[in-house]
Amino acid sequence: MFIVRFLARRLLQGAVIVFLVSALIFTLLRVVPGDPVRLMAGGMAPEALIEQIAEDMGLRDPIYQQFGRYVAGVVQGDLGQSFVRPANGAAVGGASFDDSTRGERAEVWDLIAQTAPMTLQLALLAMAFALVIAVPIGVWGGLRPGRLPDRIALYLSSLFVSLPNFWLGIVLALLLSVHLELVPAIGYEGFAYTILPAFVLAIEIAPFIIRTLTVSVAGVMGQSFIDIAAVRGLTRNQIVFRHAIKNSSVPLLNLLGVQFSMLLGGVLVIEFIFDYPGLGLLTINAVMQRDFPLIQGIAIVTAAAFVLINIVVDLCATAIDPRLDY
Amino acid sequence: MDRRNFLRYGMMAGAAVAAPQINPDFFISSARAQGSRPLMFLSAENITGNWDPTAHTTLSQKTIEGFVMGFLARAPMRPDDPGAMNMELATEITQLDPYRLEIKLRDDVTFHDGKPFKAEDVKATFEYGSLPDRPAQWYPGSNETFEVTTPDDYTVIVDTSKGGYGAHLFIFLAAYLPMMSATDIAEGPNGVLSTRLNGTGPFRFVEQDGNDTVMEAYEDYFKGTPTVPGVTFSFVGDATTRMLSLMNGQADVIERLEPEQVETLEGEDDIKLSRLVSVENKYLWFRCSKPPFDNPLVRKAACHAIDRDLIMQIMGSAGEFSSNFVSPIKFGYTDLENYPEYDPEECQRLLAEAGFPGGEGLPELEYITSTGFYPKTKEYGEVITALLQEQGFPVTLNVMEVAAWNERLYDRPGGGPGHMVDCGWSTGSPEPDLVLRTHFHSGSKRICGIEDPEIDAALDAERNAETLEAREESLQTNLMPMLADKVPALSLFTSVMIHGMRADLDGMFIYPDGSTDASEATIG
Repeated sequence: MFIVRFLARRLLQGAVIVFLVSALIFTLLRVVPGDPVRLMAGGMAPEALIEQIAEDMGLRDPIYQQFGRYVAGVVQGDLGQSFVRPANGAAVGGASFDDSTRGERAEVWDLIAQTAPMTLQLALLAMAFALVIAVPIGVWGGLRPGRLPDRIALYLSSLFVSLPNFWLGIVLALLLSVHLELVPAIGYEGFAYTILPAFVLAIEIAPFIIRTLTVSVAGVMGQSFIDIAAVRGLTRNQIVFRHAIKNSSVPLLNLLGVQFSMLLGGVLVIEFIFDYPGLGLLTINAVMQRDFPLIQGIAIVTAAAFVLINIVVDLCATAIDPRLDY
Repeated sequence: MDRRNFLRYGMMAGAAVAAPQINPDFFISSARAQGSRPLMFLSAENITGNWDPTAHTTLSQKTIEGFVMGFLARAPMRPDDPGAMNMELATEITQLDPYRLEIKLRDDVTFHDGKPFKAEDVKATFEYGSLPDRPAQWYPGSNETFEVTTPDDYTVIVDTSKGGYGAHLFIFLAAYLPMMSATDIAEGPNGVLSTRLNGTGPFRFVEQDGNDTVMEAYEDYFKGTPTVPGVTFSFVGDATTRMLSLMNGQADVIERLEPEQVETLEGEDDIKLSRLVSVENKYLWFRCSKPPFDNPLVRKAACHAIDRDLIMQIMGSAGEFSSNFVSPIKFGYTDLENYPEYDPEECQRLLAEAGFPGGEGLPELEYITSTGFYPKTKEYGEVITALLQEQGFPVTLNVMEVAAWNERLYDRPGGGPGHMVDCGWSTGSPEPDLVLRTHFHSGSKRICGIEDPEIDAALDAERNAETLEAREESLQTNLMPMLADKVPALSLFTSVMIHGMRADLDGMFIYPDGSTDASEATIG
């Protein structure tokens, strides 16, 4: 029954976090400049019609009343309808004030459900690439602290972290897609379209993994149980792969949890540059169009994902090191 | 159950759910393998989500309509012959007398839904599109001002005697108004018109899939089945992304190239460029319904403070110098002798005459512009701001992303937001009233908000001229010089429409408003 108590406690904490995030986003969206009704109805719509639509939609009510209605819907699984996107999901501009397709606006949940798997795929592949790049470098550096491998790890981390992702994305697209024709770059018509943006993200994430692993492995290798392991007759490889890496992975796991949550929260720049149809591109368009329900829906879903991923990370950490008690 | 077992079972369940999602095609086929494929057109602008052609003025959606819809005629609008018209659904358009126009139609055309195209469709299109509540007000007057009769299935008579204006106004409109089906129109604005396009053009509308508008070749197109199997028109917001797509072969055509991109693409062997003086002028609109720009002297002073040569240097190949309120490829264009040019002394004289010597006493002024859609708006906006400040105008430039700018663009009661706003206006027809009447008549005044009886009278006078010749004279000697004197807006330059396309793409015809005839296009 321990697991039930653990999950109940963490989920309750998570619900409070999601509530606070949604309250914050909801309030901020309504105080920033930009009237969503003007965008919805179109620039040519008369002022009286703008006010009428706003009142019909309850957008002129006090914020706490609007939030109350919104939360009541969310609790029942209704994230509302997009202000501007039609049911086919197209990113649209200001329509006419006599827009009869108003009734066919897309459900926020549907839009998120269409795009979230794309971002999940991108995030997973980016994470896999990042681990492939960072783990050998980080472990190598950690095993020889203060020496050349450690310095190489540091220099590579500095190099990777200094590369702006939008610049790297464009350069790699030019090199790998335009000139060498190895991978497609723009849009999405198959899994291959995920490779290049995932690689760019991996370069962005790798420095954090490298530094965490270098420090963590070096720390573990300095502990007495490692010295004793050699006395017990274990080979160097056995010491490193069975004991050092396993014990070094707990801080890495926490880092990966945070990084993965951030990736799911929308890799805005990368999805925009590669025109990758995930949550990031959806978020950018939603912000530019002042699509309040969509922005709120994305915020709630990503906050919830953040909470769940961290619960999973904590469970994994306790599986690796039973001494940890959350 | 302990935490380890919970985690183990959870991972197994997750793997079981994820396994069917893996796409095995990736492992056995190349993602870049392409056979006969549709033309990929990347757009810089999104669409409105309502397919009714009378419900919007959005350029990207007009471009899509260019693929799907049919037109009575098309106007190539090349500088050497701006008024030329090529007949399409019409076989001839004849002015019977000043108030009556006869349109003869082809008898071998069908809509994509199978309905034969007849005179009733032209009548329904004209009468529906001119209803006062239709947002895209392209007509010279409402449906109350003209009458359409159909002596037979392939003849249409337009009679404008009720409105008192010449029937010739419908000649240039014929090149701009997509013909809709009378059956669709009968359902009204809440019917099928808003949910899909149904035209007689070379490509049939299939679906809107996310940001992709999918069209396929129409086998019964009256000029013959198009060569390419279809067109995919896709909104891609980032200019660099569009260029990379063209360079790696994922896109066949991209629009609105920045001058720097032109330089980059000129060096590529497998890319070619199309440059066209467009129907779009870029304007600095003054909010004429509130101080200080309700005073024509202040407007004119501001115009004399602006050195347009500097703007042209910034625009490079993306701009064409012009001195009128319409593009040089519009009917009636002439270089106006009294068009305000850079003259600081005249600026100061006018400011003093208006009661603001050296700009003293002027309120803080906001100049709104956008970034991300039109080329170089921020850059030349900074130049205009500096030039105005030099003459004493207390101007602040406010650069906004497109949606926020769009929200502030149009006139409102009491004057729109800010005091000056940057915007272009493009209509795919030689008809000058699609710009002039739309913006400067007090019944429309979209952005500048001007209400001036003299301008209204001049607009009505040119519209009511009995012949094209008389109209041209009225435009060039009365209305246009008057606008240059009252300057409700300053036309900064004419845009040059630059498209990039793959070198193996042939047979495309691009109109100066960006719409495209791909019926004879071939790839490879």
